[in-house]
Amino acid sequence: MRITNSMLVNNMISNLGKNLSRMESYQQKLATGKKISVPSDDPVVAARALKLRTDVSQIEQYKKNVKDAMSWLEVTESAIADVGDILQRARELAVQASNGATTPEDTKKICEEVKQLKTQLVNLGNATYAGRQIFSGFKTNQKLLNDDGSFAIDVDNTEGIIYQIGVADSININVTGGDFFNSGNTATTGTFGTIFEDMNNFITALDSGDYAVIDETIGKIDLQQNNLLRIRADIGARYNRLELTNNRLGNDGLNFTKLMSENEDIDQAENIMLLKSEENVYRASLAGGARIIQPSLVDFLR
Amino acid sequence: MNPGFFGLEIAVRGLYTAQRNLDVINHNVNNINTPGYSRQIANQSASRPVALFNGTGMLGTGSDVTGINRIRDEYLDFKYWSENTTYGEWECKRALMADLEATFNEPSNSGFSTMLDEFFNSLQELAKDPGSEAVRALVKERGITLAKYFNNMATHMEELQVDLNHQINTKVNRINSLGSQIQQLNKQIYRSELDGNVANDLRDQRTLLIDELSKLVNVDVHEVVAGKLPNGKEDKRMLITINGKPFVDHYDLTKLAVKQRADKLNPDEDVVNLYEVMWEDGNSIQIRGGELKGLLDVRDGNEGENGSPLYKGIPFYIKKLNQFVRVFAQAFNEGIIGGVDMEGHADGIGADNSTEIRFFTMLGTGNLPMSSSDFISNPDCYNELTAKNFCVSSDIINDISKIATSDTPDQIGNIENINKLIKMRNNTHMFTEGAPEDFMKSIVSTLGIDSQQAVRMSANQNAMIRQVENQRLSESGVSMDEEMANMVKHQQAYNAAAIMINTMSEIYDILINRVGL
Repeated sequence: MRITNSMLVNNMISNLGKNLSRMESYQQKLATGKKISVPSDDPVVAARALKLRTDVSQIEQYKKNVKDAMSWLEVTESAIADVGDILQRARELAVQASNGATTPEDTKKICEEVKQLKTQLVNLGNATYAGRQIFSGFKTNQKLLNDDGSFAIDVDNTEGIIYQIGVADSININVTGGDFFNSGNTATTGTFGTIFEDMNNFITALDSGDYAVIDETIGKIDLQQNNLLRIRADIGARYNRLELTNNRLGNDGLNFTKLMSENEDIDQAENIMLLKSEENVYRASLAGGARIIQPSLVDFLR
Repeated sequence: MNPGFFGLEIAVRGLYTAQRNLDVINHNVNNINTPGYSRQIANQSASRPVALFNGTGMLGTGSDVTGINRIRDEYLDFKYWSENTTYGEWECKRALMADLEATFNEPSNSGFSTMLDEFFNSLQELAKDPGSEAVRALVKERGITLAKYFNNMATHMEELQVDLNHQINTKVNRINSLGSQIQQLNKQIYRSELDGNVANDLRDQRTLLIDELSKLVNVDVHEVVAGKLPNGKEDKRMLITINGKPFVDHYDLTKLAVKQRADKLNPDEDVVNLYEVMWEDGNSIQIRGGELKGLLDVRDGNEGENGSPLYKGIPFYIKKLNQFVRVFAQAFNEGIIGGVDMEGHADGIGADNSTEIRFFTMLGTGNLPMSSSDFISNPDCYNELTAKNFCVSSDIINDISKIATSDTPDQIGNIENINKLIKMRNNTHMFTEGAPEDFMKSIVSTLGIDSQQAVRMSANQNAMIRQVENQRLSESGVSMDEEMANMVKHQQAYNAAAIMINTMSEIYDILINRVGL
């Protein structure tokens, strides 16, 4: 084949251009740390990158949801534990008052303490989490109880607040007022929950010295404690489930982030090696090119 | 020996021949870097001998330059032109698809998927604290950001379409300008060659113009023999056709023209007044290659719908974006997913007990967001919704308590409705492609694959062209070494002829001045 000067120059320019464009691609990867910068670099990687980003973002959101659900349950749990303590104290007082050995003055003191306990119960029933009523079902902006212990609002036991903690996974995070304060029945405005009925009866009995009723109260408080234990066990089970979900989401997050990295991140070591080798090729082609295009017969005609 | 100064005359011819050769070499060396130049050689032959009558035979009379020819393999030109047309088309598409990819900006942390993620994450936050003004404001802002993303995409694509329209006009003008230059050259070449010469440099220029023309549009180039010239040579005329219709026919030129379309080709997607490319005489034309086809395909391509090119160009992506906002808005507002009517935003109840509020509406008069009731009063509202006019309804913008989280009035903590909205995010029945992000994923993959195809085609064609170009240069390019060697060769010949004159001069000197004195 006849080789002409223009061919040499054209080929050299085109080959240098190819070298440069390969170098540019490695440099781009080095600078961004990504295998691809536009979908056409690799449409499959690009599509997977989109999917994985969404997965990671969703998992992050579910993690937040689980944390918030746990806080809510913790506040509920602590309020219920306090109620448990109050019931325990009320039972002790009932036992003390029922044995007939107490003086009327002692009975009066006991009565005062029981009234205090009831007020405390009302406060616990109106407990809040971040400004929201935890026992009011969907009416989180309204108090559950009036000061006398009667229900201030209707709360249906179906008013469960559901948090999403997975694509197809959700959890009920609240305990409704009726379920807790009315032995599993719904709460109706103006009526007293069974706990408060019991407390009111107890106080009336103490006032009147009706030992038979005081004696009955012990049994009723035991029933309330059973109801409370049922709810605590339920909360414990839900909290447990949230912990498991949290661990799983943690693992999922790690796995998906890893997948994302494997999918779109470059192997820096390999990339630098390739870039270096490409640099050498470029230098060599520059050196070679400079030699080829320089001399012609003109240089040797004297 | 013959009478007269026969020897001197032969020597002078030698001088002339060597000089003529040196002239051609000089021309070649000068044009070593001239684009499209093909090297020329002087045809040299022994001049007509004289017959000697004494039976000695024929006596040579020196040499003559009989012609100057260019070295050109025209088959390579034809090959170059046909490959160049394909190259022009794909190189153009490559650049435009790269533009589109930049518009979509995926995968990144500011593309569609991030917008959608953030919108749904804000809904999740609202579900956890439905009474919070701050979180409601966040949902509103994220909704607006999502809508704005589509507005920007649509606007950018429209701008690109308008820009391509101008480019098409420019290319058509360039094609016409090349056509008239070729037409002029045809005249010059034809006249110069009437006496049997070859117009080397003019032909080179014409080839170069056709090189450029072939990149712009699909052309077929022929030299048609139209009979015999008086001197017996063939009467060759140049004919350049586009789709079989003459564009340049010897001395005639039929130009291309652009005309604004009265009706949009893609009624839902195109901007108004796009150019239609046609013949100046009013006949229609279907461009089949070159940069012009690349531009037309990307500007008009909508998978062949409405008679548009069978390519996925700007209208295709606008159509897809429109489709997304229509389906998504209808699902989110009304809860209509895959033809099934479930609970949507309009079925829920806001913090102020409002209901029947559409979260997304469209921009109405004055480019302001429409209210939910105005929007829905149009029975065709979802078909009129486009990526460009997609927005959050004015009700939500003016009063964030209208974001419907609840399904029962007066229950601020009720999140039944918003939980249903959140679940739509993973509802794979929303689009035929699947969930919202799957739809977008499929758009991005389609674009990626098409762009990759354009990159590959363009690279392949470039390699083909370089191959042909190298062959052309190998055949026609000037080689400095060759020219220098020839220069020395002819210089020697010149020197020899000069010495011959000296020798003859001495002979005549002796004969004239010394003999017989």
